[in-house]
Amino acid sequence: MSRLPPVIMDNGTGYTKLGFAGNNIPSFVFPTVIATRDSAGTGNTGSSIPSKPSHLSGNIASKRGIEDLDFFIGNEALANSKTYGLHYPIRHGQIDNWDQMERFWEQSIFKYLRCEPEDHYFLLTEPPLNAPENREQTAEIMFESFNIQGLYIAVQAVLALAASWTSNKVSGQVLTGTVVDSGDGVTHVIPVAEGYVVGSSIKHIPIAGRDITSFVQQLHRERNETSIPPEDSLKVAERIKEQYSYVCQDIVKEFKKYDQEPDKNFEKYQGVHSVTGQPYEIDVGFERFLGPEIFFNPEIASSDFLTPLPEVVDNVIQSCPIDVRRGLYKNIVLSGGSTMFKDFSKRLQRDIKRTVDVRVKRSETLSGGTLKATPIEVNVISHKKQRYAVWFGGSLLGSTPKFYEYCHTKAEYEEHGPSICRHNHVFGSMG
Amino acid sequence: MSNTLRPYLAAVRSTLTAALCLENFSSQVVERHNKPEVEARSSSEVVMNPLIISRNENEKVLIEPSINSIRISIKIKQADEIETILCKKFTRFMMLRAENFIILRRKPIDGYNISFLITNFHTEQMYKHKLVDFIIQFMEDVDREINEMKLSINARARIVAESYLFQVRETILTNLWIFYLLYHY
Amino acid sequence: MILLDYHNVVIEETLTQPIVNLEPTTLDMTVVDFDGVSYHLSTPVSKSVIKFSLVMQCYKELVKWGAQDMLQREYGPYYIPKEEGYDVTLEFDLQKLPEDKEQREELVKKLALIKRNLMAQPFERAFEQQAKFEKEEQANPTPDLMPIHYRDQEAIYIQAQLDRVTVIFSTLFKEETDRIFGKLFLQEFVDARRLPALQNAPQVLYSSKEPPLEVRHLSEFKNLSENEDISYVTFVLFPRHFVKGDVREKTISQIQLFRDYLHYHIKCSKAYMHSRMRARVQAFLKVLNRAKPEVPNVEKKTITLVTLYLVVFEYL
Repeated sequence: MSRLPPVIMDNGTGYTKLGFAGNNIPSFVFPTVIATRDSAGTGNTGSSIPSKPSHLSGNIASKRGIEDLDFFIGNEALANSKTYGLHYPIRHGQIDNWDQMERFWEQSIFKYLRCEPEDHYFLLTEPPLNAPENREQTAEIMFESFNIQGLYIAVQAVLALAASWTSNKVSGQVLTGTVVDSGDGVTHVIPVAEGYVVGSSIKHIPIAGRDITSFVQQLHRERNETSIPPEDSLKVAERIKEQYSYVCQDIVKEFKKYDQEPDKNFEKYQGVHSVTGQPYEIDVGFERFLGPEIFFNPEIASSDFLTPLPEVVDNVIQSCPIDVRRGLYKNIVLSGGSTMFKDFSKRLQRDIKRTVDVRVKRSETLSGGTLKATPIEVNVISHKKQRYAVWFGGSLLGSTPKFYEYCHTKAEYEEHGPSICRHNHVFGSMG
Repeated sequence: MSNTLRPYLAAVRSTLTAALCLENFSSQVVERHNKPEVEARSSSEVVMNPLIISRNENEKVLIEPSINSIRISIKIKQADEIETILCKKFTRFMMLRAENFIILRRKPIDGYNISFLITNFHTEQMYKHKLVDFIIQFMEDVDREINEMKLSINARARIVAESYLFQVRETILTNLWIFYLLYHY
Repeated sequence: MILLDYHNVVIEETLTQPIVNLEPTTLDMTVVDFDGVSYHLSTPVSKSVIKFSLVMQCYKELVKWGAQDMLQREYGPYYIPKEEGYDVTLEFDLQKLPEDKEQREELVKKLALIKRNLMAQPFERAFEQQAKFEKEEQANPTPDLMPIHYRDQEAIYIQAQLDRVTVIFSTLFKEETDRIFGKLFLQEFVDARRLPALQNAPQVLYSSKEPPLEVRHLSEFKNLSENEDISYVTFVLFPRHFVKGDVREKTISQIQLFRDYLHYHIKCSKAYMHSRMRARVQAFLKVLNRAKPEVPNVEKKTITLVTLYLVVFEYL
């Protein structure tokens, strides 16, 4: 049998991305959620065992035998939320409930991907600083339940770096860089040096997609946009964020531009009332650039977190070992849906560059003109596959012939046990 | 609890309670080392005679006492192929998590399915009688668990086969099947 | 989910947008299906021309039993010379698709079922042969034995007889656990017919090691030493199981998924076992932790101004 493509599974807190190596986009993207019968009681806390064996009454045993197959995942789970209980098996990027995760995988493989796991290699992802025990447990499930041929567990940030290799701004296949990963819930800034995450320097920012949406919603409310039906207001804000938003280079100039040429800049959003079905229309104005602006001026939306994103990135790089800082500035890679705004990379690059240049200049003046620093190169890389960068990076690595060498195979697992999966070779480190 | 199980467990309990008198004992061979003598076996005078309590040839317990440590190995009942594989899976699953189990040995002694190693440090930190309770409870539950797993896998297999064949049979009988289900369950 | 779907969900979802809604897209996607089938969906020329290719291991054998005719019949207008490295290629020009939306939906459905339809050919043929034998009442029919090597080391053999059609699966268990579980599951398949409601289900026979009589003469079994890991499952289908129409279609769909169904459930059982073991280990840990005396959490401190302040603060 010709070798079938490896399966790439990126199970994130919010969404799961599934597909096969070599493809440009994941075949499935759905929420990481599982809907189970709550009454069944298997799972939730993991400590409930069916109390008494029911040898005698065959019917209970047979019903018990089947209840763990009665569940849905992804969008189907959401659709069945009335009769089933929803569970989110991944919390903060880490697997929280292994029973549910195992079943989630079971259905991902057999129902959605329709592949026989015995014929495939698998690439899974993990958040930075994941505990090695989690890797062992994952390996145990993958090899023992599913009999997969081989497994590689990659760090999400490293895959995001790998995904940027398609961009023509990146020369060669470097695994040093800073990953700015912004999804729906939270934004991470993760420095990676030679394929290893600099764990102590990771920073999280509580501003991400969801906050932009609610900020847009808030702007609408403040403006008294009466034509938006209240039940649709979240959806409208989301649409506007996705379709019309961009990042401006100078907020004051942008306001001026809108005032001078309103018809050029204001857009119209047409919606249909979800209940009555009546069409309505709203003007889309300043929220076009104000939404994403909260990354750069957080004070306009929140009062608890006030450090702008460029400053956070700069701080992160400054806290890393001095010998990798140049590499980190040179390769700042974006990943996740909330970095997709037009000109996001340009603005980020400009702001970081500004801080860096000021610092270099100051050190030059402090030295009294005796020292001359080589200018630090700052590059923010934006590429087409940014939205599913982690998945795409996995797909890219999975399609190289070398991938199989990095995998832990079933034979190795049988020989040494799950502990081999504690360590996964960094790509490019071998041979 | 069947007739022979009770005396069997009682025997294990009293033997264990008696054997669990451990004291801190430094190695006589290597200076400033303190090793479980039952494992190290560096000096024979501190290792006591091992003892086997057996219910039948398939179920027995080996207790090996020494001055500062005691090793308990259990052979779990395995009546057929499925029980063997379930037992293997289950003990392996536990031993992979030996870190949490403190007294669990990562590998069983030859001829047994699972081994525990209790040292004087364990008995100093934990209640002795509760440790014995744990071993006894384990012996009781593991049989039951394997039994239950076997039953539920059998039940699963039956349902799986039935629901598959149900798809392939003639459709006229659908009503009959529903009637049967109502009647049966 | 007890039963597996018959159709491929990825194909259905990916093609719905361009084919049903007629939205041109760029595609370049490799998708797989059970039994080592893989598809390639691409738009190499323009956004509105979709190429759909498929490769499967047993395609050559299926052609012998009429797969080509089926393709011509069902997917005829889209059939084009095959793409390099693939067995079948279809092409869809979005401008030349049927006007009717329902027809286009039908087409996507049909594409998602292409693997099933290909695999169905030998079944159809056997059923027809059987009908012929019955009509002619031949004393010694000479039916074709149709082997389909759909996976490495695993195959389906289909043969029509005077009053029945036998379908033999050989399946390989790669692991000890799988083999034992598999044996248990297969035994249940054999026994399930004892249920009154399933008396009319096809008879299932099961043997391990020794191939059944019908196929024993085949050359591939001659030099095969006894292998414990291979099991043989025989389904005996009587004409009532393949009454033309829905019953027949369903039987075919169901039987050809047998191997995947079996292996899927073996895996599910292992997953179930895992969750039981996790729960049990948790319970054992609880018992063990009872042996640890509760550490009294009071640290004795001399009260200083700061601690006093903290205590007061806590009460507030």
